[in-house]
Amino acid sequence: MPSTRTDEPLVRVDGLVKSFGSTRAVRGASFSIAPGEIHALCGHNGAGKSTVVKMLSGQEIPDDGEIRIAGEVRDLRSRQAAQRSGVALVDQELSVVPALTVAENLMLGDLRVGWVNRRRSSGRRFRTLLDSLGLGDIGLDRRVSELSMGERQLIEIARALGQEARLVILDEPTATLSDVESDYVYAAVRNVAAAGCAVLFVSHRLGEVLGLCHNVTVMRDGAVVATTPVAELTIDSLIVQMLGEAPHRLDPRSGDDRGGDADVLTVSGLSVPGRVDAFDITLRAGQVCAVAGQLGSGASDVLRAIAGLVPAATAEVRVDGVAVRPGHPAASAGAGIAFVSNDRKAEGLFLDKPVSWNLLATRLPHVTRFGVINRRRWTATLAGLVELCGLDGRRAGHSVGSLSGGNQQKVFVGRCLGRDDVRVLLLDDPTRGVDVGGRAAIHALLRDAARRGMAVLFSSTELEELLDLADVVVTMHKGVVVQRHEGETAGAVLLREMTHGAATVAEVPR
Amino acid sequence: MSQALRRPETLLPLTALGITVIAFALIPTYTDSDISAFDVYNTFQIFARLGPIALALGLTMIAGEFDLSVVGTYALGGMLTVQAGQENFAYGLLAAVGAGAVIGLVQGCVIAGLKLPSMPVTLATYIALLGLTSALSGGLTKTYSNVSVTLWVDQTVLTYFSPRSLITLGLFGIAAVVLTYTRWGRELRAIGGDRRASRVAGVRVGRLVVGTFVASGVLSALGGSLLSFSLGSANPDPGVQPLIVATAAALLGGVSLAGGRGNTLGLLGGILAVALLAEIVTVAALPLYVTQLFYAGLLGTIVVIDAPDLHSALIRQRARLRFESARPSRAGTPPHRQI
Repeated sequence: MPSTRTDEPLVRVDGLVKSFGSTRAVRGASFSIAPGEIHALCGHNGAGKSTVVKMLSGQEIPDDGEIRIAGEVRDLRSRQAAQRSGVALVDQELSVVPALTVAENLMLGDLRVGWVNRRRSSGRRFRTLLDSLGLGDIGLDRRVSELSMGERQLIEIARALGQEARLVILDEPTATLSDVESDYVYAAVRNVAAAGCAVLFVSHRLGEVLGLCHNVTVMRDGAVVATTPVAELTIDSLIVQMLGEAPHRLDPRSGDDRGGDADVLTVSGLSVPGRVDAFDITLRAGQVCAVAGQLGSGASDVLRAIAGLVPAATAEVRVDGVAVRPGHPAASAGAGIAFVSNDRKAEGLFLDKPVSWNLLATRLPHVTRFGVINRRRWTATLAGLVELCGLDGRRAGHSVGSLSGGNQQKVFVGRCLGRDDVRVLLLDDPTRGVDVGGRAAIHALLRDAARRGMAVLFSSTELEELLDLADVVVTMHKGVVVQRHEGETAGAVLLREMTHGAATVAEVPR
Repeated sequence: MSQALRRPETLLPLTALGITVIAFALIPTYTDSDISAFDVYNTFQIFARLGPIALALGLTMIAGEFDLSVVGTYALGGMLTVQAGQENFAYGLLAAVGAGAVIGLVQGCVIAGLKLPSMPVTLATYIALLGLTSALSGGLTKTYSNVSVTLWVDQTVLTYFSPRSLITLGLFGIAAVVLTYTRWGRELRAIGGDRRASRVAGVRVGRLVVGTFVASGVLSALGGSLLSFSLGSANPDPGVQPLIVATAAALLGGVSLAGGRGNTLGLLGGILAVALLAEIVTVAALPLYVTQLFYAGLLGTIVVIDAPDLHSALIRQRARLRFESARPSRAGTPPHRQI
């Protein structure tokens, strides 16, 4: 434990209450964070974590309760008010401006930067900050739009950590980062805490919660279940606190026998310049296959290329034996390839439109007649999908944006299910930012889709997901396939291949 | 240069200005006229006429908004200048600038406060302001009798300039300093680039939007005032041509319709290119429709240059070339049948 920690809390949250319409998102949340403490906030989807973060960072005003920072009650009714009270935030959604340079992004919201840009004096400070996060080769005058998503996330983390705040809130900061990048973040967070700052760390990665944080507050259904020192917790006990019961474990995969006889998807020689080299895969109906690789391994690019979303990709892709022209999303969709992006907000859901619209958006020909919606068919299809996805039918009319992250993801995945025209389901990191319970529900949906004859191909970095869900795991490292695993596979082997590649060149299958 | 290749739109203002300067310099080769110092002076006079509204529009576009009311404020500013400034030009100027600020303030508050899109709000304001200007003037062109002011604003300074064109250049200079060296400029591009991210980062988005519309109103009204001083009269309806030309200049200056992109120097390049073009058309005695067709072609070209698919096609082509040169053995890809 850092020496700066004291028992006197720096931040105290007392009885916070927040309702949205008739939904009570947070009901009396209370916890406190000492100076130098890294405090984790965990919970199921819809548990109220994000709402608490929003209230602490000045994005939502509590209906009741109080927030004390350094002993004083604070009225955090705007982001600026929160910043003046010493609260820095790394939002759940990436919040850097691509049109600005790295330095300009670091200056945004920094109270120490005055009205006139003092590029030279702040430049030195920013340089040190970026170096500490492993961004030594990123120039301050580079435009953020030219950086990778991982680098952009690190820029946002650098901005929050560099504000010398009293409370730094990090809402799923490592969700899009590779292990190496995450390690930099952990080190930087420890440094900030060691300087006497309070850190609120929200994460679904329970391993990092236990490895990094001092105490964990678990929320469930809008209320705080418990605040426990990590020394007294295990992943299992944490999951029990979050869910109220041990999560249901899916049937273990039974190796190759899940696949049918017919090849549904055949991909050969898939290359994306600079990212993927000569990727081959064949999937049979009913098979669930995973491409396992860290950020930048090319796993995500493989899925996007098969979906026709990478114009520069070259490959021979066949669905049920019929060739699909690469680089054309409409051709891929027409061939029966459905794609679920890892960015549901930018590339998936119509956030301000109802759940029903989102679920039925991809099957309008089925629910319309001469371009007019057939209400009976609409209602029947919707009811079936809502049940299939395990959603609350009463919320079908609510906007998707009002749902929790896990339920949004269910809608996104559910949109591709129950369609006869979909033969191949591609999912790029399908449970990103989704808690344990939501993850199990999405896994069940994917298993069900495979059982109905689809070929499912997903990318993931999480060992647990790879081992639980996939019949076949193909590991990737630096753009090339390392190994294809069927049947029993040790997680440690997968992790080694994902992080270090093949031991020798001879192991790389071609 | 490598930066320019990554973002070809940054080359727009320089290319446009370069082409028009060459076309201007070559006037004697394709017409009977020679180039005189007066032609350069006249180009800067056209720049002075359109510059303030191009700058006003450009600022709102960088902030991710679009101010259609600039021409309405331009007309009202010109009319107020004539009507309130007969005795003393300063009263007219103050009335115009004050009205511009109030119009911008009201529009900004409505747009930021009610989270309305700027297009319909500013369109309504544009129509209302034209009506108000007509009501003020009885629908007639009003003359400005203070001849000394008219003579002063257009007198020749340093051979090529007039006080009016120098004032307009000064406005661009101030805008350049503010946009490049102050927090306001940085945050203006931030809210145009990604409003949600800016809000999360702690930018006061509402205040900035209001401030931008106030600046736009003041600049447009000032532009109208300067024009009235110069012409010695005010027209209640300047038509839509100034709006079209100002939009073309802003786009040519590298400002994106999507917001977040653009700078004052680019805007200056864009408006100077447009002014030079207008002067070329006058000197070469080209018919009006040539200008209109040219602007249509220009806008079409700019929109295509800005097209995301063209950007990705460029990236794709560059990536393929790089890939094929690095791996000549994989240059040939198998043929595909489209489904």
